[in-house]
Amino acid sequence: MAEPAIKRNDESYKIVDEGIDKGIARLSPEKIEQVINKVLAAETGARLKTYVETCVHCGLCSEACHYYLSHDNDPKFSPAGKVKQTIWEILKRKGKVDPEFIRDASRIASTECNLCRRCAMYCPFGIDIAYLMSVVRRLCHMLGVTQLYIQDTAHSHSATLNQMWVKEDEWIDTLFWQEEEAQDEISSLRIPIEKEGSEIFYSVIAPEPKFRAQLIYQAAVIMNAAGVDFTMPATPGWDNSDQCMFTGDYEMMGRLKKAHFETAMRLKVKRIVMGECGHAFRSVYDVGNRWLAWKMPPIPVTHAVEFYYELLKQGKIKIAKKYDKPVTFQDPCNIIRGKGLHEKARYVVEALCEEFIEMHPNREHNYCCCAGGGVINTGPQYKMKRIKGNRIKAEQLFATKTRGAKVIIAPCHNCHGGIEDILHHHGLDMELHFLGDIIYKVMEKPV
Amino acid sequence: MEKRTLIIYTVITLMGFIFAVMSGYSQEDVINVEDSAFEKKMRPAVPFLHDKHNETAGIDECNTCHHVYEDGKENEYDSSEDQECSECHTINKGDNSMSLVKIYHLQCKGCHQKKKAGPIMCSECHPR
Amino acid sequence: MHDIYNFVSGPLVWVSFIIFFGGSLYRLISMAVLARKKDVFVYEYMSLKFGLRSILHWIIPFGTVKWRKNPLFTIVTFTFHICIIFIPIFLSAHIILWKESWGISWWYISDTAADVLAIVVIASCIFFLVRRIVLPEVKYLTSISDYVILAIVAAPFITGFWTYHQWPGFKVMGIIHIVAGEIMLAAIPFTRLIHMIFFPFTRGYMGSEFGAIRHAKDW
Repeated sequence: MAEPAIKRNDESYKIVDEGIDKGIARLSPEKIEQVINKVLAAETGARLKTYVETCVHCGLCSEACHYYLSHDNDPKFSPAGKVKQTIWEILKRKGKVDPEFIRDASRIASTECNLCRRCAMYCPFGIDIAYLMSVVRRLCHMLGVTQLYIQDTAHSHSATLNQMWVKEDEWIDTLFWQEEEAQDEISSLRIPIEKEGSEIFYSVIAPEPKFRAQLIYQAAVIMNAAGVDFTMPATPGWDNSDQCMFTGDYEMMGRLKKAHFETAMRLKVKRIVMGECGHAFRSVYDVGNRWLAWKMPPIPVTHAVEFYYELLKQGKIKIAKKYDKPVTFQDPCNIIRGKGLHEKARYVVEALCEEFIEMHPNREHNYCCCAGGGVINTGPQYKMKRIKGNRIKAEQLFATKTRGAKVIIAPCHNCHGGIEDILHHHGLDMELHFLGDIIYKVMEKPV
Repeated sequence: MEKRTLIIYTVITLMGFIFAVMSGYSQEDVINVEDSAFEKKMRPAVPFLHDKHNETAGIDECNTCHHVYEDGKENEYDSSEDQECSECHTINKGDNSMSLVKIYHLQCKGCHQKKKAGPIMCSECHPR
Repeated sequence: MHDIYNFVSGPLVWVSFIIFFGGSLYRLISMAVLARKKDVFVYEYMSLKFGLRSILHWIIPFGTVKWRKNPLFTIVTFTFHICIIFIPIFLSAHIILWKESWGISWWYISDTAADVLAIVVIASCIFFLVRRIVLPEVKYLTSISDYVILAIVAAPFITGFWTYHQWPGFKVMGIIHIVAGEIMLAAIPFTRLIHMIFFPFTRGYMGSEFGAIRHAKDW
């Protein structure tokens, strides 16, 4: 018997995912061909064509990818290697691929690539491999083949306009709750809800009210201490997160961003300030707005890192005593390669902490956390895959720890998820914090 | 054998040998197509058998190649075999625009092209 | 021989130049039209300043992190790419042909220099070939067409070198040399050699996105 084109001996093939299995079961080669060609004809054009025809198969992008580096330079995990196994093949066969091919394509595009765009800086032609992987995800979405867990978050987005099935009253309740909690510390503290005409609409991702409500607490303390005129909406549209962008459900992505922008418009705010989340920033600042035909977001969007920078620079927050543990900083892809906030982030870190130790590589060249791009949202069955796929991050962190760093600051939820798992798995004894955590600890607070 | 006979044999053999050698030299000398205007040669000069070439090509008149132009018109009664091409086809000193090379090439290669005979590619004329 | 030579050095040259220039123009224009239709935002985000900034970094040897990380590759690929454009344009044997045909000429390099550079090109091609065979991450991406493209690029230089040194069969090799050059030119618009034409646009676009929108470096 002929050997299958792709050897299926990796343990990642044994992962059971109902979303994939059920999706695959509904497919037939005819349907696949029809859907693929329809989507490619309708949605792709010069970019896909140019990228595929310009690539000279040189392999220079390989060392950009944390999956490749973490899998002992296995070429199947190189950026171009992933493109070869997916979009090249699809184009070469003109969409005539079988359901098992789609299973592999989904696995590669959704669980073996974080869309971190590091490879774009290693390809001499600047081929946007993350875009090519997004096209594959889009095809899989249109074929109804998406990992169960992330599809669930997409359903949540669709039903509630937030990622975590947070109901409207639960959301408002959480804000009240955090306000009350924080008032124990600062009696005058308010979390103004639906305050029309505020300077700032503070938006968060749904996991904050769901699991990490203390982040809302801390943000409220920072806002109040700095005397910022902010508000949070009581209606859906408060969530800036977007897993639909990662599953390829662009129609939903458009709805989410529209709701978010319209909420800001309704509140008549001057700008949106968002919490420490990378993917949400990508969605609001880079991807979602484009789907809605906004070249730039219709209302200015400021990421937490940049916002903290402003507050510190303008002296709106005073530091009581600098954080004394040596820290290092994880540059998240979506706000560094996505917004160039690396120097501002360093300004903030150095303003807050006694000792700052760089990890290497850093800034635009930092390794991905391996959780972003929707990968962590594909569910717990892919956890080991993420950890194994980012051994290089463990090595990078270990090297930084050796040089004295005890605390990692990562201003991104996905980076937290990914690094937490890596620290735990490798027994790397380091603390992991948001910038907000540190600011909350070291700032002068009103009484 | 007598001493005398030996000398005669030796002389005959020697003469035969000399004749054999001389007969080779009696063919036309190979000359290189040279021009003092070429300051530095890019390729080795072209070895050229004048008489053999003209015999093969059926050229009788000198001015078929060694032409003379007066006021843009060819003077059919004059020829220029005692001159270098560059005496008429003047080039400025330091002119590396290949103008002179071009006229030499057109003279040889141009004719070969027309007659569909003789060498036309670089390495066919310029030896290593 | 005359007829063949005249054909390959006459009409075929025109054919190859027309295919090269016409084909490249066609590819560019059709891609621009397609982008206007399907990826219209490319026009919105394309920025001359940031596009050129990125291109500049990438066309300078060791101007990017990537180039610095792979010094051998960087040296080889830069000399290779410079040579394959430089040699054919500034080779005296080519210039005299243009001078004869069209009366145009310009500065040229000495044949000895050309000889050395041709060896550099051939050696680079061998380097790329060995890389394709030996390095797993490159081998994995390699298909037959990659070898064909490499052969198309190497052929004019190998045959030219052969002809210049008048090795056995050099007359035939001379003809093959001309044809090989023409094949290479004609192949550019319709193979992955199109990267020669598309490079400024793909790199420029990524540079624009990174520079103007994302305020980050892409090198």
